[in-house]
Amino acid sequence: MADVKKKKLSRKKARKKVARIRTAVQILFFVIIAFIAVNHTLTETGGGIPIVSKASLHAVCPVGGLVSIYQFAAVGEFVKQTHASSFILMIIVFSLTIVVGPAFCGWICPFGSFQEWIAIIGRQIFGKRYNTMLPAKLDSLLRYLRYAVAGWVLYVTARSATLIFADYDPYFALFNFWSGEVALTAFIALALVVVLSLFIERPFCKYACPYGAVLGLFNLFRFFGIRRNAATCIDCTLCDKSCPMNIKVSTAGRVVNHQCISCLKCTSEQACPVVDTVELMSGKYRVDTLEIKESRV
Amino acid sequence: MKLRSPHLAVLSLLFVFGGILVSMLAGVWQSESSKVPATYTSGEFAGQYNPADIRGSYSFADVASAFGVPADILVKSFGFETYENPEDLQIKLFEDVYGVIDGKEIGTDSMRLFVALYLARPYTPEEDTGLPLRAVQSLLEAGKIDPESVSEYRQKYSVDISGRIGSDAAATVAASVAGSVEATGESSAGAVTGEAEDTTIKGKTTFRDLMNWGLSEAEIEKVIGMRLGPPTQGLRDYFIEQEVEFSEYKDELQSRIDARQ
Repeated sequence: MADVKKKKLSRKKARKKVARIRTAVQILFFVIIAFIAVNHTLTETGGGIPIVSKASLHAVCPVGGLVSIYQFAAVGEFVKQTHASSFILMIIVFSLTIVVGPAFCGWICPFGSFQEWIAIIGRQIFGKRYNTMLPAKLDSLLRYLRYAVAGWVLYVTARSATLIFADYDPYFALFNFWSGEVALTAFIALALVVVLSLFIERPFCKYACPYGAVLGLFNLFRFFGIRRNAATCIDCTLCDKSCPMNIKVSTAGRVVNHQCISCLKCTSEQACPVVDTVELMSGKYRVDTLEIKESRV
Repeated sequence: MKLRSPHLAVLSLLFVFGGILVSMLAGVWQSESSKVPATYTSGEFAGQYNPADIRGSYSFADVASAFGVPADILVKSFGFETYENPEDLQIKLFEDVYGVIDGKEIGTDSMRLFVALYLARPYTPEEDTGLPLRAVQSLLEAGKIDPESVSEYRQKYSVDISGRIGSDAAATVAASVAGSVEATGESSAGAVTGEAEDTTIKGKTTFRDLMNWGLSEAEIEKVIGMRLGPPTQGLRDYFIEQEVEFSEYKDELQSRIDARQ
C-alpha cells in the first residue's frame, strides 16, 4: 500500500516536471519577443543594445511571411514592414508543423502563452466550470470563424500590400502598447481577449487567429500525431478534460482535429494515468496483452 | 516512434534557432531595411545614391554612411546635438519634434533636400519642405551654396527652429515616443470636430488619398500615363520606382483635386 502511494507521488512529481519543460520554452520565447519589441523602440530613440538586432515585431513574426506570399509571388517584394526574416520564419514554422503539428501554437507563440497564463486566474475563479461555459453548438460553430478571419486577412493584405491586420491584432497591441503605433481597435481586441481568457482557454487561438487556422490544417497530415491506444484506455476522459482546445481525445484513435496545438497535455506524460496510452507518435500502437496488464496503474 | 515533451522542446528550439542560423549562414536572413538607397539610373549622376530615397527609418548615421555627409554636420544642422547618441536618431522623428513651422514642414524631405544641396545632386523637394536656418548656415560654411544665393535659400526654405532645439527638442523626442498615443488622440479629436481635411499632395500621399479626395482610378492613370501602384503606396515611392520625377505630375493632380474641393 505504501509502495503504491509512493509510486503515485513520484509520478505526480514527474508529471509536474514534464509540464515545466513546456512552460520554460514558452517563457523563453515570450521574453525574447518582448525584448525585441522593447529594443526596437529604444533604437528608434537612439538607445537600444548595439549588438542586438533592431528588428521590429513584424520582422520576427511568421504571420508576416504568410500574408506576403501573394505580394512576393506577384511582384517579388514583401509586404511593407515585413522582411525576408518573416518569410523564413514562416517556412521554419511550416516545416516544424508538418513534423509534429502546430507546436508553434502550443510551445512558441507568445500570445498563446499569454492567454494560457490568464487562464490560471480563470481556473482559480471558476474551478471545473472553466473552459466549459460556452454552449457546445455555438462553440463548434465559432471554431470556423478563424478561417474567415484568415481569408479576410490574406485578401486585404494582398490588395493593399500593407499589414492592415496590425490595426486589429491583439498580439501587436500586447507587445507594442507603449509605442504609440497601436490602433484603438487593436487595444479593444486585446482587452476582449484578456476578458474572454478568464472564461475560455485560448479564445483568440480557437476563434480568431488567422495563423492558427492555417497551421491547424496541418493536423490532417502531420507526421507525428496524437494517438490513443484503445486497448489500454480506461475511459477516464482525463485527456478530454486536460485539453485546452476542448478536443475529445477519449474517443479518437488518432487526433485529427484541426484545433490541436500539440501541447501534449492529454498524453500519458501528463493527464492520461495509463502509460503508453495517449502519445505523440508516428505509426500505430502494437498491442501486447502482457504489456497492457503491466502498464495499468 | 514516440516523442515526449523534452523531444518536442528540443525540436522547437532546433527548428527555430537552427533555421535562423542556417538562413544567416546562407546570407538570406534579413530582419531590417537594408538602408542602401536607390541610385540614379541615368544622367550625370548615374550609379550614385539618390537623396530622394532617404527614408524616415534612416538614422543620421545611416545617411552619413550612405552619402558621405559627416554625421556631426547633419546632427548640428537639424538641432539634435544636445541629445544622447544623436547620430542614432531616426529621421522620422523630425516630424514629431518640429513638424510644420510657419507653413513649412521640417520632416524627412528636409533631410533629402539638405543632402541633395550638400552633394549638389538633383532633387525636387515638396512644395512645403523647409530647412532649419542653421542647416542653410551649415551649407554656407561648408561652401556648398554661394554666399550670393544664401538670401534666396533663406527665403525659399529656411525655418527658425531655435525655439524647439536643445532640451526642448530632446524632451519632445522623448514625449513623441512615450506619449504619441496622446498625440493620436488629439488628431482624431480634431477630425471629430470637423476640421477641414488637408488635401495638399505630398510625397507620402497615397493613391488611396487621391481617390478619397475625388479622383477616379482612370483619371489618375490618365494624368500619370501609367498603371496605378498599390492603393497605400506613397506617391514619392511610386515615382522613384518608376524612375520619373514626382514633380512632373504633382501640379496636374493637385489642380484636379482643388477643382473638386
